[in-house]
Amino acid sequence: MIKPLRFTRKSLGIPYAVFLVFFVIIPMLVIVFYAFTDKNNHISFVNFINFFSDPTKLSTIVYSLVIALITTAVCLVIAYPVAYILARSKMKQKYVILMLFITPMWINFVLRVNAIRELLNWIGLLGEANYLNTIIGMVYDFLPFMILPLYTTLLKIDESLYEASADLGGNSFTTFTRVTIPLSMPGIMSGITMVFLPSMTNYVVSDMLGNSKVTIIGKFIETYFGSDWHMGSMIALILLIVVFVSTLLSGGFKSEDNVRGTNL
Amino acid sequence: MNAKRITATALAAAFAFSSLLTLTGCGEDKPIRLRVYNWEEYIDEGGEGSYQYDIEENEDAQSLIYDFEIWYEETYDTPITVEYSTFGTNEDMYNQLKLGDQYDLICPSDYMIMKLAAEDMLEPFTEDFFDAKNELNYYIANLSPYIKDVFDSNTVTLKSTGEKHSWSEYAAGYMWGTTGFIYNPEYVSPDELDYWDAMIDSAYANKVTTKDNVRDSYFVGTAILYQDELLDLRDRYENGEMDDAAYNQGVTEIMNRTDEETVSKVQEILLEMKENIYGFETDTGKSDMVKGIIWLNFAWSGDAVYAIDLAEYGEGDEELSEEDAVYLNYFIPEECANLWFDGWVMPKGAQVEAAQAFINFLSRPDNAVRNMYYIGYTPVIAADEVYEYVEYTYGVEEGDEEDAVKYDLSYFFGKETVLLTYEDQLERQLYGQYPTEEVMHRCAVMDYFDDDANERINELWTKVKGSQLDAWAIAVICVGVVGIAAFVLLFKFGGKIDWFRRKPKKGYELVDQKPYRHD
Repeated sequence: MIKPLRFTRKSLGIPYAVFLVFFVIIPMLVIVFYAFTDKNNHISFVNFINFFSDPTKLSTIVYSLVIALITTAVCLVIAYPVAYILARSKMKQKYVILMLFITPMWINFVLRVNAIRELLNWIGLLGEANYLNTIIGMVYDFLPFMILPLYTTLLKIDESLYEASADLGGNSFTTFTRVTIPLSMPGIMSGITMVFLPSMTNYVVSDMLGNSKVTIIGKFIETYFGSDWHMGSMIALILLIVVFVSTLLSGGFKSEDNVRGTNL
Repeated sequence: MNAKRITATALAAAFAFSSLLTLTGCGEDKPIRLRVYNWEEYIDEGGEGSYQYDIEENEDAQSLIYDFEIWYEETYDTPITVEYSTFGTNEDMYNQLKLGDQYDLICPSDYMIMKLAAEDMLEPFTEDFFDAKNELNYYIANLSPYIKDVFDSNTVTLKSTGEKHSWSEYAAGYMWGTTGFIYNPEYVSPDELDYWDAMIDSAYANKVTTKDNVRDSYFVGTAILYQDELLDLRDRYENGEMDDAAYNQGVTEIMNRTDEETVSKVQEILLEMKENIYGFETDTGKSDMVKGIIWLNFAWSGDAVYAIDLAEYGEGDEELSEEDAVYLNYFIPEECANLWFDGWVMPKGAQVEAAQAFINFLSRPDNAVRNMYYIGYTPVIAADEVYEYVEYTYGVEEGDEEDAVKYDLSYFFGKETVLLTYEDQLERQLYGQYPTEEVMHRCAVMDYFDDDANERINELWTKVKGSQLDAWAIAVICVGVVGIAAFVLLFKFGGKIDWFRRKPKKGYELVDQKPYRHD
């Protein structure tokens, strides 16, 4: 008798486990190995010491942090009202507006950066304000990643909660600060993680719009991988830790908070 | 459960093994596999951009790689397949080699050839390759005497044994050129443009770009740093105190200085340059020139030719109108320039015979012309066909002889070749593709940096490219970041700490929360 082929739940996870081992865990170990070895592949902390004793590298990582923070803040300020209006309006066309914000994501990234380069040139900012251009480019690129999670959380808030707030004497301001913001916190956090992390490393934007005069930490990793894989790996590892800590702070690891565009 | 897992593993292993067998198993009648590793877009790839393309007669022009496979089988009666792959930078290519990738033929730049040779990673060419009597040896038969001299007279020292070997033992030239400026004569007067220090000249502030790579930037920095010494050398040369070779040697020595003092001074110059230039670019320079965003652009000669063509004729089939056309010029600074070349080398373990046949096929004059047309760079081949093509492209048309100027290319083609050309070509495409002999005397080949120098110069590049913050600024920002982190933590966990909790109004109390419950 032939037994019917049956998959247990565990065996269904095997493809992912294999993927995880080969494309996530092993590369990560390789990075750690390279980071803590010198040119002769001996264990050494020389890269670690070099990184923290080099003011240029420290300045650059600090600059990247600041650029990422500003980008995130600007994205939040722009995205929140948009998401709020879209989520609460009864308008039939609101999906059209939402689509307008999301469709740029479907166009090739390099193409979009090139387009905004032309635009900045036309305005006259290109080459004049490199840091500003970098931030404009980042905001433009990452805005949808902020709008989507905000929109989905705001949409989920029950209308009756607003009514309850009004019943209990809350004016629209208190309703906003005491009901809307706390309830949309998971969306805010998720949006922040999704914007903050890539804007620390997306050097295509800083190269194209900052004319390579703005160097963020991701660019350093790329440059070092041309000449010195060990230092490159060390910078990548340090960035990984920064990212890990900031995700921890924003609670990105909590599963119930994860609402990254689940409705779309 | 366990048994099942073992069966699955065994099955997978058996499958993998059997597919391996089919891949490697059946032996002799398989064609030779020639693994070629080249720069992107650095060979005639056929199609519309190809020299042989003709909309009516030859609509599917084939690539040179395909034609090589046919030619090889016809000539040597052995089937061959070329596995062609490409790289973006010399360093990427080097890393791939170090990781154990095996190739039969690679096309690195000058300094990387020297590095590979010094580290004993290359297979030398066979004696037969240099036998001019063999009619299939197109390379040696058609190589420009100028390039041959450069390859024969320069040496590389093997790290392991300290022996000196000439470049030609390990490398066969492919394309060569110079570095200089592309400029827009509408904004930049050729009379005012003399030296590399245009990069730090405030007259061109925010209107000049340089390459976003360490070697080209270091070259520019060194040229600016030693400008006086270079000009002094030139004066002595012009006064007849030294001959061509000695002058070239002097320039080469200066341009290859990598001692600590030079590096730190070059760093100062490059930092000053960063303030003055519009930006560092890898690919945007050409289009920014055409659009007039910048006036001056550091360029390799081949790119310069491409940019000049693009600005004048546009990209499409239809020519640009008189108003839209932009006329760009190429200029090689007067104190010195970089002579660069890319050449074919065979890594250790390569299939020498087939690899050499590939080089010879590319060196066949008609193929050299095809490559020249497709890529826009200048091949090292100096056959009659190449000269005829140059004449056809840049020579004066009949009836224009009166306005023609003479352009002597004898040094390159090895025989009396004086081209009659239009005057503007003296600073345009022709000058880009074939500089005059006088220019070549001040062109220095840039050696590879040894490990110590490499470390110093990479450090310099980090400092030039990175941000320079004062210690106090770092401190302030760090405090700010920690502050935000603390705020986030408070916001998230503050509710759990008694002190932050909102106290109820007098007379009220919160229920169900331990600290306030009165039992």
